[in-house]
Amino acid sequence: MSRRGLTVRGLTVTDRTGTVIVDRLDLRIAPGEVLALVGPSGAGKTTVLRAVLGALPFGLTHGGGRIEWHGASVRAPRRWRRRTVGFLGQDPASALHPLLDARAAVREALPRSARAGGAEEQALAEVGLDPADIGQRRPHQLSGGQAQRVALARALAADPELLVLDEPTSALDPAALALALERVRRRRGDGRSVTLIVSHDMGVVSELADHVVRLDPDVRNDVAPRTPVRLEKTRKPGAGGEPVLEVRGVTIAQPPGGLPLLSDVDLAISSGETVAVLGPSGSGKSTLLRVLAGLHPAEHGRATVAGERLPWVVTERSPAAVRALALVGQNPLDVLNPARTVGAALARPLRTLRGLSRRVARAEALQLLATVGLPVELAYRYPAALSGGQRQRVALARALAGGPAVLLADEITAALDARTAGLVLDLIDTLRHDTGLAVLAVTHDPAVAARADRVLQVEGGRLHPDPCSHHDDRRPSLDAL
Amino acid sequence: MKRANGSLLKRSGDAADRSVPARSAEPDGSPSARRRSPAMLVFGGLSGVVLLVALGGEVVAGHDPAAIVAAPWAEVASGLPFGADALGRDVLARVLAGGRDLTLTSLAAALTASALGVAGGLWVGWSRGRLGRAVAGASDLLLALPLLLLALLAVVALPGPAAVIAGTVLGGTPLTLRVVADATAAARQAGYVEAALSRGETGGAVLLREVLPAHAGLVCADLGQRMVLAVQLAAALNVLGFGPAPPAPDWAAMLRENLQGLGLNPAATIAPAVALAVLAGSVAALSHCLVARDGLS
Repeated sequence: MSRRGLTVRGLTVTDRTGTVIVDRLDLRIAPGEVLALVGPSGAGKTTVLRAVLGALPFGLTHGGGRIEWHGASVRAPRRWRRRTVGFLGQDPASALHPLLDARAAVREALPRSARAGGAEEQALAEVGLDPADIGQRRPHQLSGGQAQRVALARALAADPELLVLDEPTSALDPAALALALERVRRRRGDGRSVTLIVSHDMGVVSELADHVVRLDPDVRNDVAPRTPVRLEKTRKPGAGGEPVLEVRGVTIAQPPGGLPLLSDVDLAISSGETVAVLGPSGSGKSTLLRVLAGLHPAEHGRATVAGERLPWVVTERSPAAVRALALVGQNPLDVLNPARTVGAALARPLRTLRGLSRRVARAEALQLLATVGLPVELAYRYPAALSGGQRQRVALARALAGGPAVLLADEITAALDARTAGLVLDLIDTLRHDTGLAVLAVTHDPAVAARADRVLQVEGGRLHPDPCSHHDDRRPSLDAL
Repeated sequence: MKRANGSLLKRSGDAADRSVPARSAEPDGSPSARRRSPAMLVFGGLSGVVLLVALGGEVVAGHDPAAIVAAPWAEVASGLPFGADALGRDVLARVLAGGRDLTLTSLAAALTASALGVAGGLWVGWSRGRLGRAVAGASDLLLALPLLLLALLAVVALPGPAAVIAGTVLGGTPLTLRVVADATAAARQAGYVEAALSRGETGGAVLLREVLPAHAGLVCADLGQRMVLAVQLAAALNVLGFGPAPPAPDWAAMLRENLQGLGLNPAATIAPAVALAVLAGSVAALSHCLVARDGLS
């Protein structure tokens, strides 16, 4: 009995240069238990999961150790994964097969015997999706949040004996996360299920986990001492006064020309102000930011930036209007061009938006790196050699290159661990304070919403002010400084 | 094709990336992620040597490749390491001199086909317009036609090297176009492309400065494949007798001329065959290494 469950003995993983990524790790999870793997980003948590599942990525090698399931070594990991494992990755939406609709994606995860009798519909309904509406859609027709839920339904459908969740707190929106955690709670203590979670959310970990294993890398050098912010002070700091961005009666459809997703959006942001937009997945929050960034046409309505009319097509905008708005995306995997060094990525907007010469732009790029708290050596690296948090900060630096009046932040903390997300948010607060940067943040993260001056809620295709946001206890503490 | 098993690929990239910062404390801050693999150095070196021999071999040949120096089908001897051919000409001198035109033609054909395919693919993948879809459809239709038939038609209408170029364009450009168009369409959604668009860069600048560099590995690998196709096509047409006129040395023509003497001097046939195989094989292997480095296969 004591040998049942998942046992990992002396697991060692090395990369191509022989550097040890995971060093002699021992884990044991008995049936009915939940084990949480915690540690800062870059500590090798995901690598451990992949080694346990027998699916190490190209370039990493299993240097030693055994993975045992119910006391026996796992011999055919592919078949074992299919029979016993439910896996939810960090970017679950991108794990869906582009040609399979939601129903087929869930069906594929079910054992052959369970495929009849509407098990797919039930699995989709259990994660809060309407099978009649969603079942026929392929991944590109789903919103980010809906795709996450389909991936969750896929992982849970077969009621797997071993459930592996990689950073569910950042991969899922809060409602989907609640569903997943409820499922983990039910699995706990049932005498059968084994659950392995990677998370940086200590609240979740301490509530759910029977065991916590902490991974710590030997060296951590991705955070340099922050240098004081030295951006051009072109605008007066402090909230109030003329709105820098004003949106009146904007209607957005996805796809353009189709059914409206968001109607009659009215919005005004003053300099130095942060406005958070909350709402369910697929409600058009990200599309609103893309419309303002000039990447998606609006159906009706108008917008002004610093009193000047804002055309919807980015190429028709005046240079000042282009400079005024800067978008930061949510996916650190593709936010930077893999073929460009960090320095080149930062120098380009400095040249096009600020008209700097090549040499001055290079020097200024180093300054931008220091502004976002990254060591200047990173300027010579390619994005592949950066961690997710570093890439997100480089993306922020790139957005700041033109000296924007409004930062359009699309879930910028979604893929970051709590510590890195805190650093990024602190940095944005400092910039707001020093340069009067206004921020329009689309988010699921309560930490972002808590720092906002105002919170807007998307409900039923409309944007409403959130009544909670008037409470003083949700005001950002940094404004008091 | 990448997206089909996207879950593993995408995650694997991420997991590998996440492992990097822990050990990336190199003092010179060199781009550690773009390390070259030993296999790539080997095949890159081999391709370079083969190209060098093919292009400049005539200089070191020693004999005039058209001069008669021995009895017909003379066997391997000192001074004649590969023996002599049907007319008693030095096989080594002919092998050294016989690759230049074929290689130059193939290079020109591969570059033309690849350049057209990359330009078309970038445009088709980016524009999403009706015209773009029509072009993509037409190029797919071209793939359905038998390539050798097209090449034979071309060789009747055009001189030899031009026919090789035309055949490679007809048979290779649609493949390049399709691969590049898919990669471009996927890159449209990428964060770095959206960032460039939202700061007012024009479509052309985004394609040339962001999309094309990001897929440079793919394009180079694809160029290698087009080169292999061009070598095959050039060799096939030259074997059929559409190549250079008889006294001029040519690897493919040597195969045809010397096949009947296989029993008397096998080296006369094997040497040019090996030369052709090494040229095509090393380019193909280099192309494969490039693909593997970019994590595409």
